[in-house]
Amino acid sequence: MRIGSACRSKVLMVLMVLGVGWPAQAQTAEEIIERVDRLLRGDSSHGVTRMQVVTEHWEREMTLELWSLGTDHSLVRLLAPAKEAGTATLMADDDIWNYLPKVDRTIKVPASMMGGSWMGSHFTNDDLVKESQLIEDYDVEMIFDGEHDGVGVWEFRLTPKPEAAVVWGYVDYQVRKDDYMPLWARYFDEDERLSRTTEFSDFRNLGGRIVPAVMNMRPADKPNERTTMIYDEIEFDIDIDASFFSLQSLKRRR
Amino acid sequence: MTSTQAGPWRQIGWRNLGRHPKRTAITAIGLGVGYFAVVFLVGWSSGLMAQMVENGTGLVSGQIEIHDTDYRPDRSLYDTIGGREGADISAIIRTIASDPAVVAAAPRLYAGGLISSGNSTSAGMLMGIDPSLELDLTRFLDDLVEGRIVEPGRNELLVGDELARQLGAGVGDEVVLVAPGADGSMGNDLFTIAGIFHSGLAFIDSRYGVLPLDTLQTLIVMDTGRIHEVAVSTADPWIATEAAGRLTAALGPMDLDIEVAPWTELRPEMVEYVALGESFYFLIIAIVFGIAMFGVANTMLMGTYERRREFAVMLALGTSPRHIVLTVVYEAIALGAVSLVAGFVVTLPVMVWWHNAPPDLGWLYGEVTVMGALIRPSLRVEYDVAVWIWSSVALLLTALLAALYPAARAARVPPADALSGL
Repeated sequence: MRIGSACRSKVLMVLMVLGVGWPAQAQTAEEIIERVDRLLRGDSSHGVTRMQVVTEHWEREMTLELWSLGTDHSLVRLLAPAKEAGTATLMADDDIWNYLPKVDRTIKVPASMMGGSWMGSHFTNDDLVKESQLIEDYDVEMIFDGEHDGVGVWEFRLTPKPEAAVVWGYVDYQVRKDDYMPLWARYFDEDERLSRTTEFSDFRNLGGRIVPAVMNMRPADKPNERTTMIYDEIEFDIDIDASFFSLQSLKRRR
Repeated sequence: MTSTQAGPWRQIGWRNLGRHPKRTAITAIGLGVGYFAVVFLVGWSSGLMAQMVENGTGLVSGQIEIHDTDYRPDRSLYDTIGGREGADISAIIRTIASDPAVVAAAPRLYAGGLISSGNSTSAGMLMGIDPSLELDLTRFLDDLVEGRIVEPGRNELLVGDELARQLGAGVGDEVVLVAPGADGSMGNDLFTIAGIFHSGLAFIDSRYGVLPLDTLQTLIVMDTGRIHEVAVSTADPWIATEAAGRLTAALGPMDLDIEVAPWTELRPEMVEYVALGESFYFLIIAIVFGIAMFGVANTMLMGTYERRREFAVMLALGTSPRHIVLTVVYEAIALGAVSLVAGFVVTLPVMVWWHNAPPDLGWLYGEVTVMGALIRPSLRVEYDVAVWIWSSVALLLTALLAALYPAARAARVPPADALSGL
């Protein structure tokens, strides 16, 4: 009895290692999306990224150092440009604080400004704090399974659950079949109009896993504008706990 | 009919007024009060409208606003006068000020931002002004609740009393201003509250921070030639449209791609509101004199009924029914004329008094905001010559119309029956 069971497990393991045991189709849409979601976040992370913002009126590039823990805590500190270095943002639960080194003050972003731009980018403050696990907030449905330009992809439609605090009407994701890499996400408003598109590219090994190193977000109403995040370094599942995400850390200068 | 024959009917009509002096007096007072009511109600309503327009245009905004053509309605930070390069602001102000209708002109720059004091932070509208020019133009900074006006070049700020309350900050306190800069950076700096204003308009008092133009330009990384608006005040709101036309022509050679908009264009709802108010004036005239008409008709009917025998005698002596009608109508017109004089004599001094020193109605109602304009509780009245004339015409017409039926009855008195006492 015991031996038989052990044998079966071994066979199963071999099959898995050979990659023949579990046809991808056997996974549910939720499982794929959860995998994609975890890929981009990890339980915790620490990294350095460049953020390029291009608007009709100006272009700028910032270098940011960021820490995150789960979906509720993150801290971002500006490393460059030098004039603004030290400016930092702390997100804890649903609140955002900005630290301004020039005046040495910490300012909590008022509720009325949560829809405002974060550091001049196309992300709003709300985008940062409302982030949550996709499968918690959305019902996932596969809407395409086939090939695009010779690449096998799935497309999913994520429709917010009734109680979810989400501003989107729905979100479509395209995921590459062979390595589960997201290719793009399209965000639609409640009138089903395209609101923004995020494209993922430059899939590289960073911090021990293959991740898209470049994330490019374009608002649909301003086709010539974009915010691009380029990860230079990232490490996942670092030793950090919630106490790190405090107002004291926010002020700490490097 | 000759002119000598026209005479007696008029005289008879006039003399008949004296038969019952008290009755005549009461009816005349009724008509006179009606006259006063119409002129006063319309005058008060005009006064409220005038106050609305004056405050709506004079308190903060100015009667004319000049912007880049793309500025309205989005009010983008980047749509400054003269575009990205800005403009020679002092030359613009000089050109505007040389127009005879213009009382003052002042440049302004706006930016959305955060105003933070201690643990309180409010989203606010930052307004950059040239303090000396601005004081000539607007009234909301004239009487500060506390403190003093800001000085150019200093990190000083004026806030509304409601905003100060929300921030828990007072004069002398330090606040942080954060505003997105024109280069994408996050402009931030420390400012001292120099003064606190009260405009009476909730959205201004709770949201506006007023600071020196040059300081705001530094905060949001804008060149000194860049402003969003030149506000212009004219001596009278109602000449703004004409003046705007002249300013467009005068500023044309500068080739700035600007629009010169009078308040009638910026605030069309206010113009419509005034038109709505004016359309009610005729309704007021119609209602008041409609009521008065029955009073006069009643008096005339009583008067003619008493005189049945007299009319019978006149008819028996050969007076034509037409002349009977004329005597009654002349009596009514004479009554109207007397009432008009009485009404005018009472109304004129009261209107002059209330126009120049409006009684305070604060005990009756508080400050009201109509169409974003503050209206203070007072009995301020405006003269409107057209209304005075129309009311006079309406009064005489009332008297005339009220007399027609009694006159027709008088003319149809059967002489034999009336004389025999039937």
